[in-house]
Amino acid sequence: MLQLELTIQGLINGSMYALMAVGLTLVYGLLRILHVAHAGLYTLGAYIAVLIANASGSLLLGAAVAIPAVGLAGMAVYRLLYEPILDRPPYVALIASIGLFIVMEEAYRLVFGPYGETFSTPYLAGRLAIGPIGAKGAEVLMVIAAFGLLTLLALLARRTRFGVAWRATVSDPAMARSFGVDTIKVRYVNFFVASGLAASAAILVAVLNNLVEPTMGSVPSYKTLAIIVLGGLGNVAGTLAASLALGVIEAFGTIYIGHLLDRDAIAFLFLVLVLMIRPQGLFAAK
Amino acid sequence: MNRRTAIQFMLAGASALALGGHRAALAQQGPVKIGFHAPLTGFAAADGKSAQLGAELAVAQANAAGGIGGRKIELDIIDDQGKPEQGVPVANRYIGEKHPVVVSGSYSGPTRAAAPVFHGASVPYISAYAIHPDITRSGNYVFRTSFMGEVQGRAGAKLVGEMLNKKKVVVITVNNDFGQALAAGFKEAAPKFGINIMKEYFFGMPDRQFGPLVASVKADNPEAIYASGYFFNAGPLVAQLRGAGVNVPIIGQEGYDGQKFIEIAGPAAEGVIITTSLDRDSKVPETVKFITEFEKANPGAKVDMVAASTHTATRVAIEALKKAGLTDRAKIREAIAATDMDASTGHISFNKLGEVKKAVQNQIVKDGRWRHHSVIDDPVLLAPPES
Repeated sequence: MLQLELTIQGLINGSMYALMAVGLTLVYGLLRILHVAHAGLYTLGAYIAVLIANASGSLLLGAAVAIPAVGLAGMAVYRLLYEPILDRPPYVALIASIGLFIVMEEAYRLVFGPYGETFSTPYLAGRLAIGPIGAKGAEVLMVIAAFGLLTLLALLARRTRFGVAWRATVSDPAMARSFGVDTIKVRYVNFFVASGLAASAAILVAVLNNLVEPTMGSVPSYKTLAIIVLGGLGNVAGTLAASLALGVIEAFGTIYIGHLLDRDAIAFLFLVLVLMIRPQGLFAAK
Repeated sequence: MNRRTAIQFMLAGASALALGGHRAALAQQGPVKIGFHAPLTGFAAADGKSAQLGAELAVAQANAAGGIGGRKIELDIIDDQGKPEQGVPVANRYIGEKHPVVVSGSYSGPTRAAAPVFHGASVPYISAYAIHPDITRSGNYVFRTSFMGEVQGRAGAKLVGEMLNKKKVVVITVNNDFGQALAAGFKEAAPKFGINIMKEYFFGMPDRQFGPLVASVKADNPEAIYASGYFFNAGPLVAQLRGAGVNVPIIGQEGYDGQKFIEIAGPAAEGVIITTSLDRDSKVPETVKFITEFEKANPGAKVDMVAASTHTATRVAIEALKKAGLTDRAKIREAIAATDMDASTGHISFNKLGEVKKAVQNQIVKDGRWRHHSVIDDPVLLAPPES
């Protein structure tokens, strides 16, 4: 029974990783940039949601504003930070991204203070249970949101004209352009979607922990990098699988080998082991 | 060296001496500077902020009462980011500035690195709330005004096993020096109070989601839970335990101490008991004065253990300077060692190692506020090591 609960908890955590990591892998697939500042946008989503929810009394309104706002912020990051340095070697963008992430964390601390924000009324705190197995409302919603949003994303990519243009740009930007695809538009949409997904993950984490802190993005920032490497950089399905696998491994690891290795160490040990056996990641892009 | 250059040389030397003397004279009229470092940015910025407010209040109170020999006191503040690698550069800067005494409002990482450097330079150094045992072992110029982790862990065992009479206990430990020291003390004293430790779990300081751990604790079905961690871990942990239907007593320690823990955990915080250094319902005039003046100086803020401990440490430094003067470091060290006073964290004195001797204050959450629960004043149980 405990094993079943641990698996469920692992999938819940894995869903959070998935929402975060899919955006990251989309950016990598398109621009070959390791977008560390993604985690800064994630934190921004949580702050906007908690401030609006506390001011208006509606979490839904907070989420409805935060998700598109962070999407736009993601587009701005692309336009102002990455676009001017796209012709430089990839590490230039990586360093710029890390720099932006640090600036964002410290800016949150200066603007909102170091203690963090909490929701004045707790949301989704009730427990949904089937027999002895149960989870908090926010945890259930995390899984639903991850599967719902990522299914929508898959439909967008597979079933729409824009999706075709998107996938074409990812696989060969020059060829896509010569067929009349507006690759610039694809990039903006890419950042909007990726950042919106990160914001939705952050809002659910904020509700679950009832805490929004300046540094809440720091663990996801490096853990999701590990996940997209595991998933085969740029591979969305692989990233999804790697997220869920890592969530479950961490859940069991914390309980059974937590006295030897902490949660992050377990995650990175898993990464090292996988890369020793499959250097191209669990699921290579090509 | 011909005559002319010799004269020039002497003139230069004389003017340098005169200037130096002038600067020294200025320094004697200027403010007295006390070094103070804390994590004002980075992961520990919340505690760094509380520490700064506590230290600033101690300075403001001393200045209002006339300063030191009529001179104002000023803090020379450095942000150490809570990083161990900042400890040594911070120490060297203060030593270069020749401050008479330095207070650490920081965690064990930087404090432990800085302590031997201060001792080596014979600069008295007071750690407000960093708990690693090696800090005071760096040498006799180093003091600590809060409990070592082990001491507080032993008090936790007495609270759980004797005062609450709970014997089957699960221990949840934050996996750093803070949590490990607390757990070591708890486990050491557990047999004395008939406690059977069913299981120990570990989590990392960045953890906020404890789903797997909560599921496992629920299956263990303990009579009580002893959990270390900081308010940002403990808030989500307690809420998640209660949310999963684990309703046994949860006993924490000073890492929980602050209003933010209650805000995060919400109604789940009710009934949580901690061992700490600050009694909000204290009748000790010094503590009452600290609480009222802190809340007056910082509208909207609530006192916490970090602010109180840092206030205490800063006051110890100031009182020692008042007694021993500003120049003779050995005398200042002796004055600190001889401390015997009522502070915001209760009556304190130091043992041979520079460890504080005081009572443990147990606080309980009632109606969304930290309240007095009980006091553990057992000098044998709470005796810090002498070496």
